[in-house]
Amino acid sequence: MENFSEEQTGKIGYIVGGGLKANLQARLSVPAQTVQEGAFVVIESGGWLFYGLVTDLQLGSTDPRFADEQTGTRLPHQLAEMLHGQTLFTNLEILTALMMERGPEPGTDEYNVWYQKVLDETIRPEPVKTVPQHHAEVRLARAGDIAEIFGREGKGAFFRIGDTLEGGHPVCVDLDKLVQRSAGIFGATGTGKSFLTRVILSGLIHRGKTSVLIFDMHNEYGPDDTASDTGLRVPGLKNKFRAKVRMVGLGRGATIRGEQPDYTLEIAESDITPEDVMMLSQALNLRETTPTTLEALRVNFGYDNWFHEFKHMKVNAYLYDEEGKRYPDPDSVAAWAEGAGVHPGAAEALHSKLRRLFNAPYIVEEPAANALQQMIDNLDNGQHIVLSFGKHENDLDYLFVSNLLTRRIRDVWEHRTNNFRSGHQGAKEPRPLVIVVEEAHKLLNREMASQTTFSTIAREMRKYYVTLLIIDQRPSQIYDEVMSQLGTRVTGWLGDSDDIHAVLTGLAGREALRGMLARLQPKEEVLMLGWGVPMPIVIRSRRYNEAFWEELLEKQTPKDNAAILDELGY
Amino acid sequence: MSAIAIGRLLRTGTSGFVIGCRVNQLDSPSFGSLVRVPLEPDYQVFGIIYDIHIEDDGLVRQLITAEDVPEEVLRDNRENRNVPVEIAVLALGYQQGEQIFHLLPPRPPLSLDAIYLSSPEEMIAFTSAGRFGYFRHILRDPSKPVDELLAAHLMTARTIHESAGNKSWYPEALQELIALLRDDYQRLMNVLRAAGEIG
Repeated sequence: MENFSEEQTGKIGYIVGGGLKANLQARLSVPAQTVQEGAFVVIESGGWLFYGLVTDLQLGSTDPRFADEQTGTRLPHQLAEMLHGQTLFTNLEILTALMMERGPEPGTDEYNVWYQKVLDETIRPEPVKTVPQHHAEVRLARAGDIAEIFGREGKGAFFRIGDTLEGGHPVCVDLDKLVQRSAGIFGATGTGKSFLTRVILSGLIHRGKTSVLIFDMHNEYGPDDTASDTGLRVPGLKNKFRAKVRMVGLGRGATIRGEQPDYTLEIAESDITPEDVMMLSQALNLRETTPTTLEALRVNFGYDNWFHEFKHMKVNAYLYDEEGKRYPDPDSVAAWAEGAGVHPGAAEALHSKLRRLFNAPYIVEEPAANALQQMIDNLDNGQHIVLSFGKHENDLDYLFVSNLLTRRIRDVWEHRTNNFRSGHQGAKEPRPLVIVVEEAHKLLNREMASQTTFSTIAREMRKYYVTLLIIDQRPSQIYDEVMSQLGTRVTGWLGDSDDIHAVLTGLAGREALRGMLARLQPKEEVLMLGWGVPMPIVIRSRRYNEAFWEELLEKQTPKDNAAILDELGY
Repeated sequence: MSAIAIGRLLRTGTSGFVIGCRVNQLDSPSFGSLVRVPLEPDYQVFGIIYDIHIEDDGLVRQLITAEDVPEEVLRDNRENRNVPVEIAVLALGYQQGEQIFHLLPPRPPLSLDAIYLSSPEEMIAFTSAGRFGYFRHILRDPSKPVDELLAAHLMTARTIHESAGNKSWYPEALQELIALLRDDYQRLMNVLRAAGEIG
């Protein structure tokens, strides 16, 4: 009977110890299998509700001998059951994160005043600053509790990203808050990162408040795809948002999985700066002399022409004078180097290493169209860009193009922001932009982070209306300073302890979350944490399937506060 | 309700007392039985029998060593001997008016007070009052056969409660015992093993 009533009330235990710094300890009063690590629980104590996350379950006994000896074989069943019920137990470790006033008794004047404050949203969950009493009741969160903390689907910017493990209650993320700072999606290979990214991107595109630029290195977000594990068709963003998403191919005549892009991007030689080349130091194995050579090229030919001029210089070209003495061809690298005071060997080595760029088909002297401007216009007009790398999906192309474009686009946004903030006539507020970067560790590792525009964007948050959504399977390879700036982190299973450490950088309660992260169910469960979510929570991520699209594209009527409170039981 | 007198008090104190009785009175009281000593019209003390023993005397010693003692002589010495059977009782509580307390009696009974076996109704009333507070008096003295005493008491009380339609008394009593003894593994296991004999 006792269990039955606990099932009805949802009570799973009571507080037996713990503290504000250490986690709370609760004695479980239902079978241990009823609760899983990561469960979202509510502690009712006095006039307050405490919201927390189960971070550990521990078996205990009043005396170790009750656990050591199998008393079940020595006593009648009923006696043994009673004995185990009182001497063997499971303790929950609860990481509390938020607390909220429960309010006075309904029907009183105080209640009416309090209720009005809730309706006005002046009473909201706040960070936990005290502890519940001993023996305070612990129960699993109900749908209303989840909605109170994480917001209600369909209301404002709240977008359902998954469901709680127990009860399957919807858990939402505030899309507007998500993009206010850079965010990250992490997880080892095959843990469902791409599907989760598709879900979030679909939400952002559907929301329509932010423009999205996706560097689609592996051509998986724009066009339709086939899931590698199930073999099922996976709709691409272009397919579902035909009018809103522009698919851009890299290089003239590019096709993406056999489909024609909306337009193609060619990069003008004049757009390439020496800094763009320096960012490829690792990929091209450039020497220490490279900056000197590049600076000489810039001084000699200017920002617009250095690449073109250098590209067309001859290598190993020599002429002979009347005396038969060999001298460098005036159009050669060596001749230019001698004239510019640069070591000819260093210049020729650089020329040789840049050959991969000189030969890149998407770098041309005069692009057929100003695709970069078109991309900026699209993003300005509320459209979204998926830049597919097509056949150019090697690291060099990805690093070079993504860096160059990001630098150019951010410059535009910075200029507009400055105009807007200084009150220039006609200057309008720039549209928020999210740049989606896959394999982020290649762009944001310790060596490159100080040079790339990406780390600048991550650091400056939303100052210039541009933020990043980085996707990576090796977060430990991303520079700490960048990781610590990420607002929201959504992470699937990670096996490497360094990666787990990196994802939890700068967060409270990371020790408790560490084990949880290593035991997430691959492809299903993700841990959502960081500034952008009210408290860490493990969720079963939303499936990216036909049902998802039906729900997303269907018009939904948000409920008002009174309806939400009704669900909460007020 | 006809009360069965089983003897009179020999020695007494607030925590327990010893009854003396004749051998032919020994049919009724048994180890673990609940007894009561009415002292005033609205005040009576309850206790539980934890020991019954018979002291020897000189005549018994002679008879044991003698040969061919006639059966009637043996019976006469057994039934009419001067040394009484001694029944030791542990005080468990008292009744003041209608209220039952599982506390030691404020005043002990006096010598030669008559002592009675509790009726089933009295046993139900006493064991149902409060929340098994009288268990602590039984558990207090480890020199007594606590596990056996509890098993005998549980067996008797369970039968009476279940006859009256209350099947929850026994599991609740066990739960309380486990709660009281869970920090004492050995004693608890002894009690439970003894209770396990009841079935």
